[in-house]
This record gives sequence, C-alpha cells and structure tokens, in this order.
Amino acid sequence: MKTKMLVCFALLLACGFGLIVFADDHEEEEMNKLVFSKEAYKPVAVNNGGKISGIVKFEGKVPEKKKIAINKDPKVCDVVEKFDESLVVGEDMALKNTIVYLMDITQGKEFDKDAKVELDQKECRFNPHVQIIPVGTALTVLNNDKATHNVHIFGTKKNRTSINKQQTKNRKRMKLASAKAAEGPVEVKCDIHGWMKAWVAYVPHPYFAVTNEKGEFTLENVPPGEYKLGYWHETCGNNNKEPVVVTIAAGGEVKQDFTLKIKK
Amino acid sequence: MRKSIYVLSFIIFSIFSVNIMVYAQDAPEVSEKGKEVYEESCAHCHGVEGRGDGSAAKNLLPQPRDFTGGIYKIRSTAGGELPTDKDLFDIISKGMPGSSMPEWESALSADERWEVVAYIKTFYEGFKENESPPIEISLEGKIPYSEESVEIGKFFYAQFACFECHGNVGRGDGTSAPTLQDEWGFKSWPANLAQSWNFRGGSSTEDIYKRFIGGIAGSAMPMFEDASFGLSVEEAQRYGQLENKVEMTDAEDEEFNSLDEKMGNAYDILDMMTEGLADEEQKQLHAEAMKVFQEKSWHIANYVKSLAPEKRPEPAIGKNALRSQYTVDTLPTIDDAAWETLEASYFPLVGQIVVEPRQFNPTIDSVNVKSFYNDTEVAFLFIWDDRTNNTEEMEDEDLGKTFEDAIAIQFPVKIPEDPTAPKPYFLWGGKKAVYLWQWKASAADTVTELTAKGITKAEVQEVQGDLQAEGKYTDGQYRLWIKRALKTDDKKDLQIEPGEFVPIAFSVWDGANGDVDTKRVISSWYSFVLEPVPSSKRFIYPPLVALLSLGILVGLRGFVQRRNT
Ligand code: HEC
Ligand code: HEC
Repeated sequence: MKTKMLVCFALLLACGFGLIVFADDHEEEEMNKLVFSKEAYKPVAVNNGGKISGIVKFEGKVPEKKKIAINKDPKVCDVVEKFDESLVVGEDMALKNTIVYLMDITQGKEFDKDAKVELDQKECRFNPHVQIIPVGTALTVLNNDKATHNVHIFGTKKNRTSINKQQTKNRKRMKLASAKAAEGPVEVKCDIHGWMKAWVAYVPHPYFAVTNEKGEFTLENVPPGEYKLGYWHETCGNNNKEPVVVTIAAGGEVKQDFTLKIKK
Repeated sequence: MRKSIYVLSFIIFSIFSVNIMVYAQDAPEVSEKGKEVYEESCAHCHGVEGRGDGSAAKNLLPQPRDFTGGIYKIRSTAGGELPTDKDLFDIISKGMPGSSMPEWESALSADERWEVVAYIKTFYEGFKENESPPIEISLEGKIPYSEESVEIGKFFYAQFACFECHGNVGRGDGTSAPTLQDEWGFKSWPANLAQSWNFRGGSSTEDIYKRFIGGIAGSAMPMFEDASFGLSVEEAQRYGQLENKVEMTDAEDEEFNSLDEKMGNAYDILDMMTEGLADEEQKQLHAEAMKVFQEKSWHIANYVKSLAPEKRPEPAIGKNALRSQYTVDTLPTIDDAAWETLEASYFPLVGQIVVEPRQFNPTIDSVNVKSFYNDTEVAFLFIWDDRTNNTEEMEDEDLGKTFEDAIAIQFPVKIPEDPTAPKPYFLWGGKKAVYLWQWKASAADTVTELTAKGITKAEVQEVQGDLQAEGKYTDGQYRLWIKRALKTDDKKDLQIEPGEFVPIAFSVWDGANGDVDTKRVISSWYSFVLEPVPSSKRFIYPPLVALLSLGILVGLRGFVQRRNT
C-alpha cells in the first residue's frame, strides 16, 4: 500500500501535477497538533550543546477563573477548590501549560531514562495537566484517591484508536501500553468524574518543554544549528504556520519569549 | 483526498499504460463493488469519505460513525485494538439497536456485506499498517448461568464499580450518567441493563462479557482489568467486607493489609506484562490471576444477563392487552405486595416526530402497566425507567436546559362502539376529543384531568374528579399509582364498564433529554379491559365454543375433501 502511494506520488510529480491534490480538506484538525520531522530521530552524543529558554505570556483580558462544581464523590473530590485549567494565567500574565519544542530536529540527545512518566489522580484532578510522553515509554497512571477512576485517552486519527481503562480505588498504579508513533496532544478524561481533563503528547525526541507557573521553559543541550521553535497551547493554539526560527551556537544560549492570545 | 489520488493515478497510469497491470494487482482492497454498495446504502449517513457527515447525519444521536478515526464500539478484540473483519461483518449484518444504524442482512447479500467491510477499512490507515492480527478476547472458562453465579456477579458488579455509570440495579442511572459524553463530544447515556434489546452489540452472555472486557471504544464505557487482581473470588469478597467495616480489630487489620499487599503485587506483575518485562515465574502468576479475573467476569456477565428478560416483551395488544384484574378487596396501594402477583403489560414508546419541536433521540423505551379493579374503583400502576429524576426546569452544566419529568395517560372521551370504529387522532385527539390524566414529577401526589382536541390544544378540566395518585422514583425508575371510580358524574370523563375494550395511549417526558411540550415520547393507541368477573356463564361458554369450533372444523374438512375429489 505504502509503495503504491509512493509510486503514485512520484508519477504525479513527474507529470507536473505538483502537490495540489495533497492539500488536506481537514487541515484544521491537523493544525491542532504538534509538528514532527518526517525523518526518524537519531539519538547521538551531544557535546557543548546550547540552551533555549524563555517565558510564555498571555495577552488579552484574562477570563474569570471558573470553579468546578463537584457533583460526585464529594468526600474524596471536594477537598480543595478546583478550577478549570484550560487557561492558567499566573503573575505577570505568565501562561502555564504551554508546550514549547523544536519542530525539525532530527538528531540530538537521548531521552532522560530516569525521568518519571506519571499521571497522577489525586482529589479527582489529573496532574500534570499537560504531559510529554516519549514514544515507546509506558505511561504510569497513579490513583491516590479512594474513588474509582477511568483513564480515557482519546483516539488520534492516525496511529491509535482510543484507550479507556477502568482504574478502581484498589489499583494504585496502572501502566498504559506505550505509543508506537509520535502524535498529539490528545485529550485525557475521566468519564466517571467528567471534569477531570488533561492532555498528553507522544513525542519522538526530548526537545520538548511545558511551561511552569511562571510561564518559563528551557530546552537544554541542543546541538548547534538552526531550528524551528514551535508552541502549542490548549486554548491559545499553535504557531505551526509561522514557527520562530532560532539559531544556536555551540555552548550558546538563546532567549525566546512568546505572547499568546486566545485562539479564534 | 485519497480518492482524488486514485482517480488521478488512474488517469496517469492510463497514460503510462504499461503500469496498469501492476496497479490492479497491488490494490485488491479497493473493491469497486464495495464502493458502489457503500455509496448507495451507507454514504447518506456515514458520508462519501467516511467522515460520518452524510446528509442524513444531522439529527442523529449517536452520530453515524466517522470511519477515519478507526474507532469501533462492538469488537471481539481487546481494548485499544481494531475490530476483526468478522466483527465488522456482523455489526453491519445485525445493525445497532438503540441507534439509527440499520441491519443490512435483509437488504444486502453476504457478498455485498463483505465487500463493504473491505471498503470501509480503506478509510483508516491503521487497518493497512497493522502487521499482526488484533488480539481477540478469550472466551475460555465460561461459567454457566445459575442463581449462585448471579449472586456472586452482583458483588463484582459493585466491586468493579459498574454502578458509577449504570446505577445500583443497572438502569443506567449511575451518578456519573448525566455527565457522560462520547469521544466526539455528544451526550451519551449508559445502557439500561434491564433493556438488553437496546444493546448495540447483542445481549448474549458472551456479548456482555466482551463489551466490558474490551470496552466500548469511543464511549465512556472503559475496558476492565479486574478490581481485585490476584485475589480469589472468596478473598475479593472478604476484602470488600473488611473495606466497608467502620472499625477493624487488629487481626482484621492485618488480614486486610495482607490481602491488599497480595493485590498490589499482582498489579505490579500486570504492569510488567504490559511493558513486556515479566519473567517466567511472573508470567505464570499472571496467567493464574487472569484465570480468576475471567471467573469474576463471567459472574458479572451472568448478573447483567439476569437483569433483563430474554427478549423484548411483546407489546400490549391482542392476547397481551392490559387486563385489569378483579378483586373483591380494597384496591392495593403503591407499595402493596399484591402488585407482584401481576405480570405487567408492555407499551413501547417512540419519539414524537410529527409536530415541532420533535424528539429524534428518545431516552425512554416504554411504560409497563398493571391494574386491579373492584366493584366501584380501578387502580393502575404505571412503571417506566428514566435515568434521572427531574422535578423542575433548570440549566444543567452538562445537559443544558432540562425540564420536569412527566407522563400523560390518554383515553378517548367516548369509547368507540366497536374496536374497528375510528378513534380520536393518536396525538391528543383532533375533531374527536381525548381525556387525559397528566402527572408531573414536581407534584408526585397529584393527577390533573385534561380534555384535548390536539397536541397543543389541551385544557384542564374545570371539574377535577376524585383521582388519587402517588408517584415514586427509585433507582432509575418511576412508579405511578392512580386510582379512580369506575363511573363519574362528569360527562367529559371516561366511564368504564367491565368487558369493554378501552383505547389507551401514553406520552412521557424525560426532562433531562430536553422533553417539554410536544417534544416527548409517545405511543399509538393500545387498549385495556376490565377482565370480566368470573361468573357461572364462563363455565357454559367455553365448552359451547369448543363444540362449535369442532363442528366448523369437521365441516371444513368435509368441504376440502369434497373439493379435492
Ligand atoms: C440511517 C443512518 C445509517 C445508515 C444508512 C448506515 N449507518 Fe452505519 N451507523 C449509523 C450510526 C448512527 C452508527 C453509530 C451507532 C453507535 O455509535 O452506537 C453507525 C455505526 C456503524 C458502524 C460502527 C460499528 C461499531 O462497532 O462501532 C459500522 C461498521 C457501520 N455503521 C457500517 C455501515 C454500513 C456498511 C452501512 C451501509 C451498508 C451503514 N453503516 C449504513 C447510522 C447509519
Ligand atoms: C464510565 C462509565 C461506565 C462504566 C464504569 C461502565 N459502563 Fe457500561 N456503558 C457505559 C456507556 C456510556 C454505555 C453505552 C455505550 C454506547 O453504546 O455508546 C455502556 C454500555 C454498556 C453495555 C451495553 C453494550 C452494548 O452492546 O450496547 C453493557 C452490557 C455494559 N455497559 C456493561 C457494563 C459493565 C458490566 C460494567 C462494569 C464491569 C460497566 N458497563 C461499566 C458506561 C459505563
């Protein structure tokens, strides 16, 4: 099948039809996703890599914080107030939970093997709200509640259908099968407690960061070169169409801030 | 987009005609026949490109499936796996009850159905890239149905926490039910396990087992991996017992902790299996725990099976018509055990789609009715399942605007002379008026009498008769008890005589489903009769009738024989 597509593709080019027919009718859906290089990522030893860091800020009227009405298991879930996390703006308009990453890097450092890839469920809230999962790594879901949850990771159109697993209060840890291909971010939901929502992205390389309360991000040990720097935010969208180009020298440091608005 | 590639490639290949043969051989899955069948029979719902956006899709809930996401609800395969070809063939053949997906067994040949299976698979890349066949759910170790198994299953139904969505006794009224959505962002309700004829994927014990082992992809319904892994059935029950104790003795505490640890270790091994890291010994332990998990699961499947009748009940017509039973005693009140002695008559309901606003996606299946009468009065018990108890109009965070639940029971003002004589229009009458009893959830002990000459032309009767009522809501079910005199002085009321067939029809409103005014579920006309009092006549008639029929039979036989010779 793949080879046939390739043959078609070559022939089309040869005939000068160009790429017009490949324009996706459902571009918008794709536009909500991260951008990955088509080339497979190659881990190599990186010496004297550079650092890219910055702050992501929000611009515009900050909507009022929306308190979540707890309509289920109040003893477990209604211990502390919870707020909708689709737009978390901190001091100085700092924007939390923005993914900042290199779009087109094809070789560089290895994933940190010791890093924990865990999604916690505590007091009926997912933590973290936005999470990066290396391709091939199993996500561990924790249940720190005396309540039953179900972990529903939505299907991605391309590589994976949806996964939805019950995690009763008796099961404190649960591994989810690793993803085979880079994709996302996709929504995670607990249907039993409908307000519990999070996002996960399956990524092929380690040059991804999620901004903290202060809106800060850092990408470390980047091999010298020129890269496209992308961002993604649940409510503010992404810069897939016009990524920022950064050039990083050996051992150098680049600062790049972003200011995001609510996507229309 | 893919289609345009093929079309274009075809043109190009025609130019480079040398390649035509190669192309034809390389693409066996794109069957022209399948495409034809699809575009003729499926595309108006599922869309020409399989995106679930056909011209008829707009009002349907659940929405026709978008095949480009590879999400299939009814599978014989494990959670996260694609369905087998046979799964697709079967669901296309049988359709999906409780949704608008029709059965195609009668309209398409088996060949055509297989071709269309091949065709819908081309909409999702994942089918092509799958190197290995999907993992199927093992149906080993099935436990035969028995009262004992049902009892154990009931315990595990609770321990696996099915009740969170399906409710304590399975009527789909769990506390999470009002908040559930499907993956495409549409409202979806947990199945009412007492109405298994509405299950999408069949109601056999095996079907039920596969649904919760593999999950129902795209819906809120998850796959299950045991709630007490590593513990035997008895240990799991003991664990549940101890867990619910307010105070434990030291010995109990120790027992509980050791069970907890055993379970924790088993889950750790399960995780190792998921990651492919388990050693031989762990694999062995895992296999043993899996066997017990299967055992628990078959018990659950038997329990779920026990909640519904084997088949959808026959509607209350002909020999199943509602027959009010005579009693010399005073009539039973709502909670009287006497009601248990009667079999209910089943009145199926459908969405009202004649008059705006319409209900295209009804949530109430039917009303079940029982009745007793004595020399002066008649009492009815109306029973219907509704997943939520709505007593007022309000703005719900998950459901939007919701209304009050209600029911109206409809009779003609005048009973037609004979059963074939025209009745009033079934939607609350027209030229011929209807007489109604209306009950609303906010006033559980009140029934209002109405007269109507059309669905929007109802009037509260000025003189309200002496109707007694009591309504109750428990575990996803309404029970409404109404008592009335057989004869009243009000000309606008119905006068009821034993032995006379009285037309009856229903309107029911599920406020959580946006039902209000004409938006509701309805039935057409059925009938009920006060079963005549057994009298001496009874003993004369049956032998007489038998004699007569015998005579006719003999006569007929003679007639046929004569004709044949
Ligand atoms: C009247 C509209 C309608 C028509 C016509 C129709 N479908 Fe469907 N179909 C649906 C709906 C609605 C669903 C989703 C039901 C659900 O999710 O519960 C569905 C679901 C499906 C599914 C998914 C089954 C699963 O396990 O999730 C398949 C496969 C399918 N249809 C195939 C077909 C084929 C093939 C045809 C034509 C031969 C067809 N449908 C015609 C409405 C339709
Ligand atoms: C998180 C909520 C949730 C939980 C927990 C849950 N279910 Fe369901 N269940 C659903 C929903 C929603 C549907 C309807 C799915 C659809 O057709 O889209 C459903 C449907 C079903 C059906 C009907 C299948 C069919 O073919 O239509 C069965 C049987 C069932 N569930 C059994 C169970 C059992 C047994 C358990 C516990 C082991 C369970 N469910 C736990 C939400 C849940």
